[in-house]
Amino acid sequence: MRPEVREALIAKLTALADDEVILAHRNSEWTGHGPILEEDIALANIVQDELGHATLWYGLRQALDGSDPDRLAFFRDAYEYRNCELVELPKGDWAFTMLRQFLFDLYETLWLEAAQHSTYQPLAEAVQKIMREERFHLQHTYAWVERLGLGTEESNRRLQQALDMQWGYAQQLFVPIPGEELLVAEGIVPDLAPIKARWLELATRHLQNSGLKLPINPGYQPTSRAGHTEHLWSILAEMQSTARWDAEAKVW
Amino acid sequence: MPVKYGVPSDPDYTERLAEFEARIKRGEKIEPGDWMPEEYRRQLIRMISQHAHSEVVGMLPEGAWITRAPTLKRKMILVAKVQDEAGHGQYLYHAAETLGVSREAMLDALLSGKAKYSSIFNYPTLTWADIGTIGWLVDGAAIKNQTMLAACSYGPYSRAMVRICAEETFHHKQGKEMVLLYAKGTPKQRQMAQDAINRWWWPALMMMGPHDKDSPNTEVLVRWGIKTKTNDQVRQEFINEHAPEILEAGLTLPDPDLRYDEQTGNWLHGPINWDEFWQVVGGNGPMNKERLEARRRAHAEGAWVREALEAYAAKQQKTAVAV
Amino acid sequence: MDTQWPRWEVFKQDTPSKPHQAVGSVHAADPQHALLTARNIFARRPQAVSMWVARADDIFSWTKEEIAEGQLKAESHEARGLQHPAKYLAFRKTSHKRSMTFVDYVGEVEATTPEEALRKAQATFTDAEALAWWLVPAARVFKSDPSPQTIESWFAPAKDKTYKQQQYYATIGAHVSKHKVGRGVEDEA
Repeated sequence: MRPEVREALIAKLTALADDEVILAHRNSEWTGHGPILEEDIALANIVQDELGHATLWYGLRQALDGSDPDRLAFFRDAYEYRNCELVELPKGDWAFTMLRQFLFDLYETLWLEAAQHSTYQPLAEAVQKIMREERFHLQHTYAWVERLGLGTEESNRRLQQALDMQWGYAQQLFVPIPGEELLVAEGIVPDLAPIKARWLELATRHLQNSGLKLPINPGYQPTSRAGHTEHLWSILAEMQSTARWDAEAKVW
Repeated sequence: MPVKYGVPSDPDYTERLAEFEARIKRGEKIEPGDWMPEEYRRQLIRMISQHAHSEVVGMLPEGAWITRAPTLKRKMILVAKVQDEAGHGQYLYHAAETLGVSREAMLDALLSGKAKYSSIFNYPTLTWADIGTIGWLVDGAAIKNQTMLAACSYGPYSRAMVRICAEETFHHKQGKEMVLLYAKGTPKQRQMAQDAINRWWWPALMMMGPHDKDSPNTEVLVRWGIKTKTNDQVRQEFINEHAPEILEAGLTLPDPDLRYDEQTGNWLHGPINWDEFWQVVGGNGPMNKERLEARRRAHAEGAWVREALEAYAAKQQKTAVAV
Repeated sequence: MDTQWPRWEVFKQDTPSKPHQAVGSVHAADPQHALLTARNIFARRPQAVSMWVARADDIFSWTKEEIAEGQLKAESHEARGLQHPAKYLAFRKTSHKRSMTFVDYVGEVEATTPEEALRKAQATFTDAEALAWWLVPAARVFKSDPSPQTIESWFAPAKDKTYKQQQYYATIGAHVSKHKVGRGVEDEA
């Protein structure tokens, strides 16, 4: 692998993993506080899967540059994280969390399907594993969007509010990272443009069938994963507090 | 379906009670629909719903550390563990529901403060080592009880407990692994582990409930095969297993009177501070109010979600009928 | 008044050669939601290849004791909006042994009333003594998608979640195995 391709792949794997870590963090804030026991359990499944996916992506990076996944997760500062801003937004109400999960799961499922035939074998193998779980996530959140959208006036209003807030942020999922075109050219990762077209089509259809309106003004659309919301610092301060508390600790 | 809950004023009560107790003696399971004394049902609902509430409230002290877990693996394990607690609450509510009490009613009893749950969850989790210690000691104590209850005479409770025991063993092991690791770790880790043991040891011993002489329910519960051991028996088993292991790990226990008794093979403990126990049971533990408030908030904030899905289902049914 | 949603009994099949078994229940709003929820609750660990759900209210149940006492009459099927004749799925419990499951699926019968379904099930499935019966109208049972892709997506990933198994932590505790006598659920293994 040429050094510039390798560098780009490391950056891409980091971005994929960081998305999962931060989204898992937000979702895990619900554990013990869900609207009903069954859904508390359901979301905790998603959190575990996401942490598993992060571990896989960091693991692929480790194979390339030897970096330790826990060092990456717990000892990088906010300006070194490469997650999208959508996943940083506070968990909000159940509608906010379910909608974000739906938008993200749909993107991830489509991306994974396109990445199945990656020329980079370790990535293709990870995709197979992750895709199984992601298909179920999507079924789950697809069902939730439909039910909240068509449930009561209040649930529809809350879901619409979430959509108005998130739609612009979600577009960042389809912004390539610097150097991604090298990876696409090598067939290592799929081109995001056709994935975005498909995502727009499917998301729009399901959201509209669920009684929602796409916002006319999409709002702020982040363009670089080097930038973050004002929440990331606090997320990391909390998330890394134990790991950084004892600088001498070798194992936890 | 006619369900029979017998009361002593029934003409055939004595006869049926004898048959019922004979069934339990033979090791048969009592199933929903079978005749049972109303008192058996009442005791079961009390115990099972308290047990379910304990699982659900028990998610809170540990859940608070998910976002602060120090590695990805520990985070994943902790999410799975707290999730299991939700699952165990779920299984237990199911067992109680088979006795004709609704989950709505049970939750109402919890949230209104009428129902009790295990007092141990009214203590705060102050450091990460509390997570390991809860797994090792609190789950260790819980497993002792649950293993006993898996042999319980009421089918649905027994089945829930068998499932819970199978899942719970990892809770105990992951906690023990952590504490042993920290006991051999850096000075800060060691200190954190010792501090956690100091704070959780006595509350863990209190988990089995009052001494047998102060436990009025025990006799009937044992006779009807709901419990098969007394509080003191279970407590002794717990100490015999855990005390030597903790000492072996190089940690100390906060009981100056603790000693091994050659004659009985038991580890004998000093006096338990039952005043503290009854204070916490009575609502005056450090976290009673916060725990209940957290449950109330989640319940209230989830109300519109539950209504929305009910409304969706009603609309779907209407459409289905119309088609 | 609060709603915790209706209760659905869950039947889990561990492997293709085993029957569906009653494992517990979930609270869910509608059939599809109940199936998704059943998967979330009861497939957190292996094994599973298929799940069925049925509203607890749609299940007709009898224990051996009830049958012996002639308490056969179920609520009329009209009251539950059932067609007749109808197919019923029969589930049976045959052992008092310690277990985490209740009744096992044994097969189908066709009948005009739940009582007739019970009698037919008793006459058809005679290989073991029944301690309890559940008869469930087939039209009220909802099943997970049997396609390989769904099985792979719903049930296979649990096998990789090894951190939920106590063996994952096997490096410790071996020296205290003597303390473990009589605990756990050895008869389930």
